[in-house]
This record gives sequence, structure tokens and C-alpha cells, in this order.
Amino acid sequence: MASNSATAMIDPAIFQFLQSHAEQDIDVNEKLHQITAVLNRQISTAQGYLSRIHSTPTAKIQPLLAQIEKEGIQPAISSIQELGKFASNYPYYKYNQRWSRSVQNLVAVMLVTAWLGGMGSESRPGEQGRLLRIEEIGEILEVPINLTDRDEFHVTIEEYILAMTDLTEELSRLAMNSVTMGDIALTVRISSFIKDLFAGFQLLNLKNDILRRRVDAVKYHVKKVEDVIYDLSLRNLIPGTVGTS
Amino acid sequence: MAEAAILKTQDDDDMAGVKRDYKGNRKETNPGMPKDVVRNEYTDMFESFRDSLDQHHDRRQKIGKVSRDVTALSKKIIFSLQRVRKLNEPIPQNISSEIEKRTKEIKELLATIVDDVAGLRRYQYSMPGIEEFVEAVSFAHYLETQTLITPDQMQAALGDDVPILITPADYVYGIFDLTGEMMRFATAVTALSGAMPSGFMGEEADSGRTILEDLQETSSMLQIVPPIPGKGWKDKKAVMIEQVAKVERVGYGVRVRGNERPKGVGYDFDVGEEKAPVMD
Repeated sequence: MASNSATAMIDPAIFQFLQSHAEQDIDVNEKLHQITAVLNRQISTAQGYLSRIHSTPTAKIQPLLAQIEKEGIQPAISSIQELGKFASNYPYYKYNQRWSRSVQNLVAVMLVTAWLGGMGSESRPGEQGRLLRIEEIGEILEVPINLTDRDEFHVTIEEYILAMTDLTEELSRLAMNSVTMGDIALTVRISSFIKDLFAGFQLLNLKNDILRRRVDAVKYHVKKVEDVIYDLSLRNLIPGTVGTS
Repeated sequence: MAEAAILKTQDDDDMAGVKRDYKGNRKETNPGMPKDVVRNEYTDMFESFRDSLDQHHDRRQKIGKVSRDVTALSKKIIFSLQRVRKLNEPIPQNISSEIEKRTKEIKELLATIVDDVAGLRRYQYSMPGIEEFVEAVSFAHYLETQTLITPDQMQAALGDDVPILITPADYVYGIFDLTGEMMRFATAVTALSGAMPSGFMGEEADSGRTILEDLQETSSMLQIVPPIPGKGWKDKKAVMIEQVAKVERVGYGVRVRGNERPKGVGYDFDVGEEKAPVMD
């Protein structure tokens, strides 16, 4: 009887197809692991320096911001560019969960640093109270933002919004500490900024996802600052409002 | 007390859910209209984010719905295919026409979301229906040709009108599910015919490749290749190994006890060829 070995169950091409895809995936993951490990280390350093804003008076903040930029943010930016170059070779959403959190953390550090007056450029010097827009983040990181028309590495709107919730959290803590350090004007400024952002967050129609949970938390950041403002106004400690009662 | 009484008598023909102010007068609400917001320097930015997020959620919902429908249709195709009784032969007319109809429906559904899953969005939204579709198409392909469908053939099955990428993960997880269908087919047909289905079923049952051998080969391949990321490679692999073992026991059973009863016992229960008069 003639065997039908001519038509085997499995075409060797299938085997090769699966093998090569699985191996490619292993390689990509290894490389991503390398890049993100370095990136996360750099971001941790930046976050570490950033924690000093809570004990650094406004008068001495500029050198600290310069240090955060130079030793934390700048190295991380070069890692982001390396990541972007490598990751753009592969489908973005297949791997983006590998770095999304890191990007969010780095953007958050940048937002806080810029808000306090850092991240200045030749065309635009830093100033207190400045919110870096997503477009500016893209320019600084030298990567695209919110891509929809091509499959490359980019910073998403979601990552930026999440980073803004980190910013409100950090500033709500600073609102209290700046009172301790004697800079009540900063607290007042934070209060009005956070309220503006909070009003913005309320415009978003959110589903039950991470974005919603984080944005829901912003109201607690607002409340924290409100409580500080309440304590101050009760005692007539807010400049400009003294004696109004 | 008086106020409470007034509250109850006013507009009591109204439906529940009317918002009222503290005096009990109904409040005007404009559902769907954005709340009046005091605009600040960030309002424009948030509004543009809102638009992007809304588009994203709408798209995800649309894709999810199509995916569920594709899953349901694919399952129906698989049920129909389980009524087939012969391997390596054209699928009977009554079953194949049903499958064609459902396949056409699937393609029409998928054609409505081509743009939504184009380019970088293919990996952004989950579409488990595709995996199910791979299972259905690969099962039909196996029954007809007794070979495993290749990724290229699978992509071709979707046709040029539906340029949606079938990812390596869709393909391989669909093939994992195929082994379950092969097991079901193997046990059912063996029980009915008294022999393990093979390409040469009939007079010389031992001469062709059996479905058991095909299962073993497929299972070996999927154990050799490293995992392709997706949902539950480990679990699917374990289930597959169990399925192969089950068919191995069936194969052993018919070899040992198969001769104790005449082949063909059970053909009366065959629903696959129901009432179809023998034409040849």
C-alpha cells in the first residue's frame, strides 16, 4: 500500500514559523529587559533626588532641579531614545506594557521638575507653575506622542494623564511641606493649580480601568491641599487675605 | 413634615429619578450635555484627551462585539464539523453549505472593523474571536485534507477583502484548541465505527495515518517550540497533553478489544449522515 507520506500532517514550514517567532520573542524580551533595567535605575535615581523638594526651600530649589535634570532625567532620556529605536522594530502594543510604567514615572518626574521651575530651555526658560504639555514631553524625549498612523514607539495620552496624577499627588505633599518651610505662597499656588487640573480631569469620560482609579484619587490630592489651605486661612496666615475678616 | 407631604404630592405621576432641589422643585438636567465648566488654561487639553479616549473606548467596544459574534459563529461551525464522520474526504454537502454561510457572515463582520484594527491597533485591542476562527478553519482543513493548516493558508482563508492580520499567537492558540476538536472527533468516530479514524478509513483501516498519530505529532511540535506569549500557554499545553493521552487510551482500546465486536456496530447512531440516501 502506498503510504501518503507525501502529505505529512505538519508542513516543516509551520515548525519553522513557530520556532522563529518564539525565538524572536525571547530575544526581544531579553533586550527590552536590559534597556528597561537601566532606565528604571535612572528613574529611581531621579525620583530619589526629587524627594528632596520636600525639604528644600524655594530659594535653594534651582540647584536641586539642575541636579535632578543632569543626573536623573538626562541619562533616562538617552535610555528612552535607545528603547524607542529598538522597540520601533516591533508592534508597539505587543510590548508596550514592558515600559509603559517606566515612561509614566519618567514623565511624572519631568512634570514635577518643570512645575517647580526646572526643565527650562533656551527658547523657554523654566518658571514656577508651568505644566509641561505632552507635546513638550515628546520634544524633550525626542520621541513621537500619541501615534495613530504608524506603528512606532511613542508616549501615549494615557501615560501622560497618569503622570499628571502623579504630579498632583507629589504637589499635594509639597503643599504641606512648603508651609513647614515657610513658603505659604507656594502652597496657595499649588492649591489653585491642582484645582484647575482637577476640573480638567472631570471632563474625561473614564471606564473602569487604571486611568479611572488614578484619576479618582486626584480628589484626595485636592482635599489634602484644601485642608492645608483651611488651616492657614483659619489663622489668617495666607498673604493677601490677612485682615479681611 | 409639611415639606415632606408636599414632596410626595407634587408631580406624583412623574417617573422616579427626577432630581429636585431642596424645595422639591424639579431640577433641569440636560443629559448628554457637557457640564458647564469654568474654563481654565488646561480645559482645551483635557477636552482633546477626552475625545481621544472616547474614540478609543468606542473602538474597543465595537471590536469586542464583533469578536464575540465571530466566536459564536465559529463555535457553530465547529459543532457542524463534529457531525462529519470521515477523514481526508470532502465535507458532506449539507454541512459544508452551512459552514460556508457562517464563514461568509464572519468575514462580513470582520470587514466592518478592518480600519479599527489596522496597523498599530492590531495588538492594541484583544480579539479572541480570531483564535476561535482559526480553530474552526483549521478543523475543517484537517478533516478535508488530514493536514495541519499553515499560517499562510490560514491568512488566505480570511481573504483579501478582510486584511486583518492573523498573529502568530492567534494561529498557535487556535491550533491548541484544534487538538481538543480532534480528540472529540477521534473518540466519537472510534466509538461509532470501531476503528481509529485514518485517511484510509474503510477496507484497510491500518494503512493510512491515523488521527492519533496526527495528534501526537501536533502535540510534540507544540511542546518543542518555546512559548509564544498569549493567554495561558502552560495551561493549554497541559490540556493538550491530556487530550492526546485520552485518544491514546481509545486507540489502545480498539486495538485490544476492537475485534471482539464487528466493525460498523454503532453506525445506526451516526447522525452525521442522517437520512442521506447513498448516491453512489
